[in-house]
Amino acid sequence: MFTTPRLILIALGAALNFSIGTIVYMVKLPIYLDSIGTILTVLLLAPDRMAAFFCAWAAAWASLAVSGLVNPFLPWFALTDVAIALVAALLVVGAAKTFRDRPLRSGPFVAQVLMCGIATGVVSAIVSVPVVVYLFGGVTGSGSAFVVALFLKSGKHLMSAAMLSGLLNDPIDKVLQVLLAALLYRATPGEFIAMLRGPAPAIQ
Amino acid sequence: MTPNGAFAVGFVLIALAVSNPGPRGLALLVVLTLAFALIELRGAAAIALRRAAIVVLPLAAFMGLVWVGFVGEAPYQIASAAGGTRHAALAYVGGLCGRLFLIVAVAQLVVLRFRALTPLQLIRALALPASVKRVLVITLSLIATLRHAIDRAHIALIAAGTLTRAASLRNVVHGWRLVQAVWLSAVTIVLGRMRDKWPVENTVARLDRTLAGGEARLFAGADRIWLPIVLGAGIVILLADRIGGAF
Repeated sequence: MFTTPRLILIALGAALNFSIGTIVYMVKLPIYLDSIGTILTVLLLAPDRMAAFFCAWAAAWASLAVSGLVNPFLPWFALTDVAIALVAALLVVGAAKTFRDRPLRSGPFVAQVLMCGIATGVVSAIVSVPVVVYLFGGVTGSGSAFVVALFLKSGKHLMSAAMLSGLLNDPIDKVLQVLLAALLYRATPGEFIAMLRGPAPAIQ
Repeated sequence: MTPNGAFAVGFVLIALAVSNPGPRGLALLVVLTLAFALIELRGAAAIALRRAAIVVLPLAAFMGLVWVGFVGEAPYQIASAAGGTRHAALAYVGGLCGRLFLIVAVAQLVVLRFRALTPLQLIRALALPASVKRVLVITLSLIATLRHAIDRAHIALIAAGTLTRAASLRNVVHGWRLVQAVWLSAVTIVLGRMRDKWPVENTVARLDRTLAGGEARLFAGADRIWLPIVLGAGIVILLADRIGGAF
């Protein structure tokens, strides 16, 4: 399962998560964009769902190990990353063909991006909210803290505010992430994809 | 001290900071962390503290703006619907930022403890499966590659008139082209390495030999002193505010 090209892909996915996620965290946007590498890893390994899941999981955690030095909140969302990798492996893999179609069929493309993004976002919100509420009291360093604060000001309970904020932000964030991953997937050379999916000699 | 021991000590200290100890426990945790910093790192401890401040201060300013400036109440006051104060919000944000500072400082201390080692030597000394070590080495290498790819793509897009050097609306509009250019550049570099460079230089086999050749002992030397101390202190920290009445 972990051939040399796939190990390289894990590292590339981790580096992509880290670089874009860190920029977004520093400018305090109410989104995250820290799983584009995870979703792209899944797309590049489609249709092998098992390999896609494990490689995406590894990419997500490798990026957590590095990003934790910049964003001290991130390591506590390790379970969210596993959930994103799992949902992506189950759902996004099925959309890989549509995302790669030439010429681009805009109707199915948009529908798949929306469906995969919203599903991933809802799962991610549900898994993240207990961490946000019980570990940090709703206070996190990302721009979504503004949205939690807005709901709290409107009289919502902390748990409801964090859940509503998650359900509002995460689907938008994940739709954007699936879209960006799909566009990068379309731009990736076929030779690289063949190397990842093909029977390369395993290291172990 | 081995890297495994330092990472284990760091993990326990971070877990204790996350467990949200009371004032006594927190004071003990700070003393324990300072002892680790001064004994194991001496002067370099200041670098770790400075780096932690650089990471946490903007975060503290942002959280202060949201919770003290905008919400004006601490989360527990909102939950109890008893009406809150900015003072309590400030205390809550201060406490949370203090814990975050401790977490980042511990992570930096552990990394700086082995500042004399190259990243490759540090990873080689870790007691991890070979495939995990390989992924870590390749990830660090590819982060550097991505940085170079960003520089190249950025300069190329400026030369093409797509982006500008200074901040501009054009950069916002065409920022996505930079991301695509960086990705394609990185993929092309990786393809070239895997297809041509690495087979010729036998890089993967050499890397495996290098990673397997280290003395990756699980725990040794000062680890056997620090680990029992930290674990014992951890129990005291967890119990400190539960026995002997309120602080």
